[in-house]
Amino acid sequence: MEIEKGKTFKYLRDKREVPQQVKDQLKEFNRIKKAMLDAFKESDLTIDQLTQKLNMPKPEVVYYLMSLIKYGFVQTGEVDDMDEYFTYKLKK
Amino acid sequence: MMSGQSKNISFDALVVGGGIAGGEAALNLATTGFKVLLVEKELSIGGKMIMLSKVFPTLDCAACITTPKVSEISRHPNITIYTSSEVGNINKIAENNFEATIIRKPRYVVIEDCTACQLCEQACPVSVPDQYQYNLVGRKAAFIPFSIASPKAAAIDIDNCILCGACEKVCPTNCIDFTQETEEIQISVKTVILATGFKLFDPLLMPRYGFGLFKNVITSMQMERELAPTRPFNTVLRPGDGKVPDKIAYVLCTGSRDASIGNPICSQICCMYSIKQSQLLMGALPMADVTIYYLNIRSFGKGFEEFYQQAKGMGVNFVKGKIGKIRETENGNGNLILRYEDINEGIVKEAEHDMVILSVGVLPNQDASGFFPKEELKLDPYKFIYQADSLISPARTSIDGVFVAGTASGPMDIPDSILSAGSASAEALSYLIQE
Ligand SMILES: Cc1cc2nc3c(=O)[nH]c(=O)nc-3n(C[C@H](O)[C@H](O)[C@H](O)COP(=O)(O)OP(=O)(O)OC[C@H]3O[C@@H](n4cnc5c(N)ncnc54)[C@H](O)[C@@H]3O)c2cc1C
Ligand code: SF4
Ligand code: SF4
Repeated sequence: MEIEKGKTFKYLRDKREVPQQVKDQLKEFNRIKKAMLDAFKESDLTIDQLTQKLNMPKPEVVYYLMSLIKYGFVQTGEVDDMDEYFTYKLKK
Repeated sequence: MMSGQSKNISFDALVVGGGIAGGEAALNLATTGFKVLLVEKELSIGGKMIMLSKVFPTLDCAACITTPKVSEISRHPNITIYTSSEVGNINKIAENNFEATIIRKPRYVVIEDCTACQLCEQACPVSVPDQYQYNLVGRKAAFIPFSIASPKAAAIDIDNCILCGACEKVCPTNCIDFTQETEEIQISVKTVILATGFKLFDPLLMPRYGFGLFKNVITSMQMERELAPTRPFNTVLRPGDGKVPDKIAYVLCTGSRDASIGNPICSQICCMYSIKQSQLLMGALPMADVTIYYLNIRSFGKGFEEFYQQAKGMGVNFVKGKIGKIRETENGNGNLILRYEDINEGIVKEAEHDMVILSVGVLPNQDASGFFPKEELKLDPYKFIYQADSLISPARTSIDGVFVAGTASGPMDIPDSILSAGSASAEALSYLIQE
């Protein structure tokens, strides 16, 4: 097989099957990412509010939210009066 | 997948493990004019030190010390570095004559051509837990391990890659290469330094502390990341609900000095790194209460006792107490109840905290024991590499010409790892010139 620079993934695709669990994991991430970004479109949110909207366990919300901040989709806003919980918002 | 490719290259020394000890030993030999191959199994050199926030007892920024050192190692003309690589085996043919097989796993990125622009990272759709942030946050399947990694180049996590090609499409230098395969490289060297470091105790082995189950119970290495400039969150937060904690507890000796979990010895660093973190937390969260539950504080090194007293002066609370069990409160606020024996008063007490850090201990990394099919690399009773003459010649192992550096021989802090690397490189040098 001719291997074209910049398209070498095709070479490995012929040799290696992507496991179903990896595909499922991507689907799950995309689902959560979309749900979170849609929720933020309506308003800025705390983790508590986001958890209630998405009906997901809080630790998972923290993990995915922090990942979306790292990937540049969401940003941290103000902290509450007790200096305990932050509000988060879409990155403009 | 093995390409079957087999090179035969000669070096004066093989250093296994690119943490601070291996890096220092390699540098010492290289500056004396010897050619060194440094083999590191991770994507970056720097070991645990490169992941730390600040260092005790000086509170110097760990990255500020490690980065120049790591870049000196990477740029030295006498040092060749293989990352993502491991030793297959090492055979001693004669004195000053070892043959080794090195297994180089594909990174799927040509390091020299990668500009670390991160475009591949942005394009990659996959997100998985970031092992370099101790799973507190995600990372992509095309990723730069961390911002101060060396080499600072992307890598592809092939186990989680969906082979969509998005990364390759955006890469401006065309340096992503999915045709790379595992290479087996034969090398000849005259001496070997083992600097394979240590492993961290896995607190899942102590279910009574609730790690894994209660998300606001974290390890000291996770807190180290939360305090580092390259932290996973904007500030110190509870992974359970994103709250800024204000009543924090440390549980010292988690997985150390405990024969019941198979590690009866002291890890030597946990008291001091916990005291360090407590001071950093008081700085980052001025309103926070920090309590350290301890059996004994071992502040034996230079400046350590003063450092301990400084923490007390800053208001860190020290309780001589043995933790029996940690449970979550029933009201769902994510706080934790620590049940402990107050050793001074001899009674069992309970205390509520909103975050618990387990000061996990140092365990041996036994990888090196499998390197030598024909010789016996002896281990000590605790499975660290045996020092054949620990008083006179501390870097000697049970195999002549093979030396040990850093925590591969037992728990120690950074200054002692560097001293140990100095001793290993000096002994390797005298072995080399005896030729
Ligand atoms: C939470 C925490 C905080 C700490 N804080 C401090 C501090 O403030 N001050 C201080 O002085 N010390 C501190 N330490 C201790 C410090 O991390 C160690 O002293 C130091 O990292 C030891 O360096 P090393 O090179 O011996 O081992 P490591 O850092 O473990 O490096 C070993 C290297 O070898 C590689 N390796 C392992 N096996 C193989 C193999 N088979 N093939 C190839 N490569 C391999 C590893 O990937 C790693 O890069 C802290 C430790 C912890 C856990
Ligand atoms: S080919 Fe793999 S690493 Fe590259 S973008 Fe797609 S999933 Fe990510
Ligand atoms: S692999 Fe390509 S796109 Fe990714 S960081 Fe390197 S140069 Fe940039």
